[in-house]
Amino acid sequence: MGSETVAVIGGGPGGLRAAHGIVDVGSKVVLIEKREFLGGTPIAENYAGLTPHGEAAEPQMQRMAELVTSNPNADVRLGTEVVSCEGEPGAYLLTLTGADGTETIEVGAIVLATGFKHFDPGRETQMYGYYEFPDVIALPDLEAMLKEHSVVRPSNGEAPKSLCFIQCVGSRDRQIGNEYCSKVCCGVASKEAIEVRELLPDCKVYIFYIDMRMYGYWESEIYWPAQEKHHVQYVKGMVTEVLPKGDKLIIRGEDTTMGRPMEIPMDMVVLSVGMEPSVGTREMARVLGVKQNRYGFIDAVAGPLDPVSTDREGIYACGAALGPADLEDTVSSASNAALRAVAFVRSRAAAATA
Amino acid sequence: MTETATSHYKRPDVAGYAEVPYAEKERLFSEVKEDMRFSDYLYGCYECGICVAACPSARFYDFSPRRIAQAAAREDVELIYQQMQEDIWECSQCFSCLRCPRGNNPGGIITIMREVAINNGLASAKQAMEGYSRIIYKIMSTGTQVSPDMLQADAFPDWGPETADVSANLDLWRRALPSETMHTTNTGWDVADKTLVELYLIWFHTGALDMIEEIDQGLHAILQEVMEECLEDEGIEL
Repeated sequence: MGSETVAVIGGGPGGLRAAHGIVDVGSKVVLIEKREFLGGTPIAENYAGLTPHGEAAEPQMQRMAELVTSNPNADVRLGTEVVSCEGEPGAYLLTLTGADGTETIEVGAIVLATGFKHFDPGRETQMYGYYEFPDVIALPDLEAMLKEHSVVRPSNGEAPKSLCFIQCVGSRDRQIGNEYCSKVCCGVASKEAIEVRELLPDCKVYIFYIDMRMYGYWESEIYWPAQEKHHVQYVKGMVTEVLPKGDKLIIRGEDTTMGRPMEIPMDMVVLSVGMEPSVGTREMARVLGVKQNRYGFIDAVAGPLDPVSTDREGIYACGAALGPADLEDTVSSASNAALRAVAFVRSRAAAATA
Repeated sequence: MTETATSHYKRPDVAGYAEVPYAEKERLFSEVKEDMRFSDYLYGCYECGICVAACPSARFYDFSPRRIAQAAAREDVELIYQQMQEDIWECSQCFSCLRCPRGNNPGGIITIMREVAINNGLASAKQAMEGYSRIIYKIMSTGTQVSPDMLQADAFPDWGPETADVSANLDLWRRALPSETMHTTNTGWDVADKTLVELYLIWFHTGALDMIEEIDQGLHAILQEVMEECLEDEGIEL
């Protein structure tokens, strides 16, 4: 007994890359996606441009999806969930439910690509008023506006004259329990800041931060252009609260490097929300019985030189299911997980015929 | 006051020099920004402080080249005006701050700010240039730049508080030195008329004379008077 088919759970950038990697080397894949469409969070959350270079998200995701759907070795199941996992490594029995009813399939290995969800700003412990003030929005809300090429104040439909990002909302916060850095928000906020400046040259754009974490080439490809070419104002200091004043918002904080308190009127405030494990990541961890870390992400138990193995043999995880990850991290770990999964099922098959 | 982000910062202490309308501060800053060197002197600021660590003036004064770069990058018009009335004269223009990882040149920004301050006759510029404006006259009349009798407490405040003590008994101090030192007060070399005219024309065409006029009208009038005949002899009309 045993199967040489690999199951990939999740049809976002990580899952699509993993599935494509598996069929690309001649193995079979079943791609299971809960939503009715492929492309994952970039599509579900209406991303405009992908970080760092800002290519339009929709065609990029579509291209990734077609590489999978056009391959005869790929069996794509949309609107489908995994409800149970029986069997053993090399012969896992997954029970799937979808529009066509319930079915049990046998797979040799599993790649978990269930991703993240954006932090819910209603849970922040500061007083930013996401659910109170219409002009307080979050990164994905602004993405959706940028996708429509129309950034306006939700309160009155007018273009903002001033807009700020508040970094680390839901990240690096012991009060909230998310002690980790969400890794992408500095780059995403800076990318969006550039896009706002290009769309609305008269709008002043500020970014209030603890540290700017623009690692690698994001430094010179996003951060420097944002500051030098687009004159986005970076101010080191966290905003403690957002208050209403007339038809504007007041942000209150400290300009730490200038050593002075600040109260600045804003037309719009964008909360740079971090990453949390998606509902799917938590649910699949439970169904597959793989270990989660203290934050609910899948635990990569083998350490830094093997970042995709879970504590169950033959089950690998990739992308933001493992923790905060950008697109480059995600497709890289997805390729890694695909290779590991294919190697696992083939070595089992070779051992069985020997 | 125009409603801007910066106007809601806590107001800087503007005591000690004239308050001017916000629009005037904006105009002064736009002169700084429009200088052709400005874009090469300021990229973006990490606010890391390496320029302050390298700065000799920062060790002795409440002076920070970081704040100069920051204020310019943030277009903080209020703070920039304050700096033009105070901070920029505390820089020794040694350019140690050029080690900035972003390639900024805070000292260069200060050079531009000083020129704008002088060209607009800011009180701080008048005060700072008080001693130095005499140098031009000294060169023209004696061929020396600085002579011992110029060491006066009011003229070079940046030479430190000891200047007052030294200048009070200058003659005594000088006589205590074995070599002759007071002769340069009256003589350096004979400044030929041709040299005088050349110097004057350089200052005229580079705008240095306009600066002198803005800072010290009395001196400017003396220079004009001294040069009138010389220029006439050379057949030059300005």
